[in-house]
Amino acid sequence: MLALQILIDGFAISSLYAVGAIGFTLIFGVSGVLNLSHGAIMAVAAIIAWYVAGDLGAGSYGGALAGIATGLALSLVTYGLVVRPIQSSRTIAHEEKEIFVLTSTLLWGLMLQVLVAYIFTDNPKTVQPLVSGVVEILGVRTPRNEIFTAILSWAAIGLLWQLVHRTRAGKSLLAASINPRGLALLGFELSNIYLLVWVIYGVLAGLAGVLLGMFLGVSSDNAGTLTASAFSIVVLGGLGSVTGSLIAAYVVGYLETVTAYLVSPSIRTVPVLLLLVLVVYLRPQGLLGRR
Amino acid sequence: MTAPLLRVEALTKRFGGLVAVKDIGFAINGGEILGLIGPNGSGKSTVMKCIMGIERPNEGSVTLDGVEVAGWPTHRIARAGIGIVFQHSRPLHRQTVLEHIKLALLPDSLLKLAADQGVEQRARWVAARVGLEHVMDRLPGTLPFADLRRLELAKAVARNPKVVLVDEPFAGLTAGEVAAFSELIATFRAEGKAVLLVDHNVKGVAALVDRVLAMYLGEKVAEGTADEVMHDETVRAVYLGGKIEPAQRPPRAAGSRDRLLDVRGVSVLYGKAQALDDVSLHVGAGEFVSVVGLNGAGKTTLFNAISGLVPYTGAITWNGTPLQHRSVARIARGGIVQCPESRELFGDMTVRENLDLGGHHLGREARAKQIDWLFGLFPILQERQTQAARTLSGGEQQMLAIARALMMQPKLLVLDEPTLGLAPVILEQLSKALETLRQSTDITVVLGEQNVTFALPHADRVYVVEHGRIAWEGSPARFAEEAGTGYL
Amino acid sequence: MKSRVARLALVALAILAILPFGVSGYVLGLLTLAFYYGVCAMAWDLLFGFAGEVNFGPSFLMGLGAYAAALLNHYAGWPIPACLVAGAVAAVAGGAVLAVPALKLHGPYFGLVTLVAVLLLQNFIVLFAGITGGEIGLDLPDVLSVSDRINYWYALGFMAVSGAILFGLSRSMVGLILQACGQDATEAAALGFNVAKHKLAAFCVSALFSGLAGAMLIFYMGTASVGTTVDIGVGVQIIIAAVLGGRRTILGAAIGSIFLIVAGEILRPLGQLSSFVVSGIALVVILFFQGGFLGAALAAEARK
Repeated sequence: MLALQILIDGFAISSLYAVGAIGFTLIFGVSGVLNLSHGAIMAVAAIIAWYVAGDLGAGSYGGALAGIATGLALSLVTYGLVVRPIQSSRTIAHEEKEIFVLTSTLLWGLMLQVLVAYIFTDNPKTVQPLVSGVVEILGVRTPRNEIFTAILSWAAIGLLWQLVHRTRAGKSLLAASINPRGLALLGFELSNIYLLVWVIYGVLAGLAGVLLGMFLGVSSDNAGTLTASAFSIVVLGGLGSVTGSLIAAYVVGYLETVTAYLVSPSIRTVPVLLLLVLVVYLRPQGLLGRR
Repeated sequence: MTAPLLRVEALTKRFGGLVAVKDIGFAINGGEILGLIGPNGSGKSTVMKCIMGIERPNEGSVTLDGVEVAGWPTHRIARAGIGIVFQHSRPLHRQTVLEHIKLALLPDSLLKLAADQGVEQRARWVAARVGLEHVMDRLPGTLPFADLRRLELAKAVARNPKVVLVDEPFAGLTAGEVAAFSELIATFRAEGKAVLLVDHNVKGVAALVDRVLAMYLGEKVAEGTADEVMHDETVRAVYLGGKIEPAQRPPRAAGSRDRLLDVRGVSVLYGKAQALDDVSLHVGAGEFVSVVGLNGAGKTTLFNAISGLVPYTGAITWNGTPLQHRSVARIARGGIVQCPESRELFGDMTVRENLDLGGHHLGREARAKQIDWLFGLFPILQERQTQAARTLSGGEQQMLAIARALMMQPKLLVLDEPTLGLAPVILEQLSKALETLRQSTDITVVLGEQNVTFALPHADRVYVVEHGRIAWEGSPARFAEEAGTGYL
Repeated sequence: MKSRVARLALVALAILAILPFGVSGYVLGLLTLAFYYGVCAMAWDLLFGFAGEVNFGPSFLMGLGAYAAALLNHYAGWPIPACLVAGAVAAVAGGAVLAVPALKLHGPYFGLVTLVAVLLLQNFIVLFAGITGGEIGLDLPDVLSVSDRINYWYALGFMAVSGAILFGLSRSMVGLILQACGQDATEAAALGFNVAKHKLAAFCVSALFSGLAGAMLIFYMGTASVGTTVDIGVGVQIIIAAVLGGRRTILGAAIGSIFLIVAGEILRPLGQLSSFVVSGIALVVILFFQGGFLGAALAAEARK
């Protein structure tokens, strides 16, 4: 039942991708930043989770929490030390700021990757899953962890949706992505809003990393590919559109899964990249992009 | 009779559903200067861009000396003989003045590594011609604003074009510099070039132009000599809102109220351009002050300084405390709420959500009460409360913007050009709403407007802003006598 | 100012030229690599600093040149000069292809396309490992030379000539037009310049030199591999070199490349952490000294 296997595996990986991609697109929509250290943050979060769960003996829950906390911490460091100095710099010309941020986050991501490879080696690590065992779905043996990944991902997405649409803080985030100037004129301190969005991003990236670590395993070498996946999804869905990223995550996730199963796992990113090139040529704003 | 150098016929340009330019036509002969006048959103800049090939017209034709150029790429039109001076100077920072002019003289070749013999000489001659002979080897960063504008002029006329387009020729210049520039542009006319000047007001270019074409909302509303256009009924209706009538309210004694907002000696520089020059005004508690002036006079800059959106020199105090260096959000929370010219609505959010955000500091019940009161003031918003803000009409969006600002329960409400682009019927509604606001609350209001007829009836006092300075101050009644006639 | 820079450059070249008589083969090998990457960095600077286009995948162009040359040498037995020409042509074709979206896209989108180009190339090389040698690399029957010194002089000569051409271009009238096109396309068009044509030319020139550098590099090393020519890490190093050395100086990029290799070597005892430290330094320079080494030096000079 290959088709069913692809369906299930694809769903799980896509849900996981969605969590990371939504964080990535939120940062772009609200803060205007394409964070090229995204993959590195995910990878480091996963590796710390593995370390805390295993070598420090905190068990899988402790490890997972540590991983998410790492994501949060790294996100704030990225914002405070790399992104904000450029955005508020007086010596960099306004038109060049975007490029500087891109280059700097790229460099920072590389630094993280090298550092963690140095400390923990670049061997792939699998994080102890929170849930073990196997379940049969219509004849396909599926690890419980896989189902758990999908459920947890959707729980996170659901929580985020609630936050954005039902709380005042969340609505201010949405407003900031539409019109930051208008929001400031209504008495909202933009600096607090930016801080909030990076906090949310950190948690999402950390969670995505930990889940990935539990599901497929992660090595520091994956950092670049993870960033590439995230921005492929986000460009496909439309930079800045959360719904677009959600849909695109499933397109990319399934495309990768199908390729991995039917052709070869080592080139699973190729059809996605080709699709990306097509989209950038024909419809650069993506599915639901606003900007 | 010689054929016109530049002829525009039935020019139409659409941006999606918006018709920016509709059926515009005119002709300029060699040795003639035409002024294309209109407020923001009139389409005058779009006309200029269509002539230069920066925008592609949907319909109509542009002929240069008999040759149809509409639809050509910009660089080809430039080589055919049209030079353009943009509103904002963007020089290359590492090149000297002379090198800039030499650049303008280069052929469009990939292979030419060095300039021809004659280029250097000609560049020097052009520099001297516009008055830059003493600063030829200086970098743009070291030049004063007027010289930067001269550089732009030099680049535009370096290859001796047949037609010269100039966008806002005198913006940011002092009176003395304006005279010098006028003379320079007059020499272009003397050389037999056809010159198109695009600007906000007739008065500024009246002395220089031979004819004027006035535009509003994409269409031609008047054509003739400067004098004729200034007195044209339609033009006055569109610019001033109609006949200036004396205000119907008794004037309040000037010094009898506490100064809530005090602006002293405020100046604002945009790059090198002087947007505000030593402006002082004050607003007392409960007063309604109208700041009147044409587009580009400096009203928005003044309001942006008050709201903390632009840096300035001078002092602005609110209730005795200085506002400088406070964040935009803090000034808003402190009671000064601006409803900007661009409205800054959250287009993808509903009317209700926009209002909710305005009332974010209130508790749930207080917020609901406030929204109900505003729905009473602007009933159409209640009808549309679940619609996305960007689907509203212009007038409805303006009402939403004002309502949202009022949700903040401001002590001082700053309204920047609320009537821009709105139909007379909507203006009536807005005017009524403002009146109700005045009667039922003790709110203080500063209204910035080009439309004098709208601004006068509610005002206790009037300031006139012109070219970045306060030109006049007084009561509405005196305005009709003293300032009203020379306004346009 | 210009002649001063030129004189200093000549002095530096002279010193570099006699270096082999006093320095070990190992150091020469390092510098040879630095020179080839330096040419790529200079070509990158022409594109970014002058045409205003951010290429996040310079290794795409380098890799195209390298592999085109490698495949022709390995399978068709073409002599080195012919392979070099083929490599250059392949890279220029690639540059032209990259230029097409560049003329339509704005902001981060073009940067993403260049990154994607690199990833795609890398994936294809690995995919067709049977032909290309994949991650292990492709052995080449020919090499430029077996002598360290001769390889060094080949590389130095190549860098000197490329640098002279690229620098000369940047200072010429063509360079001036390019700068105008990069800074304000509308204004450049209003002055009568076909911006698209000039940007396309800039891409092709940048590609030519990058491709040649890639092709020569593999004949120096004797193998063509993704790790030295296509990898994103290579691209990042090229960008860092150009930014460290000073954007819009062309020559600064060569300085930056040499600095990176030398710094990497000095930090060798740190093992893998050396690239961490170097990236950290680069980050600090980007954040606080946007002019880079040469930029800061020129600014200090101007202030005197």
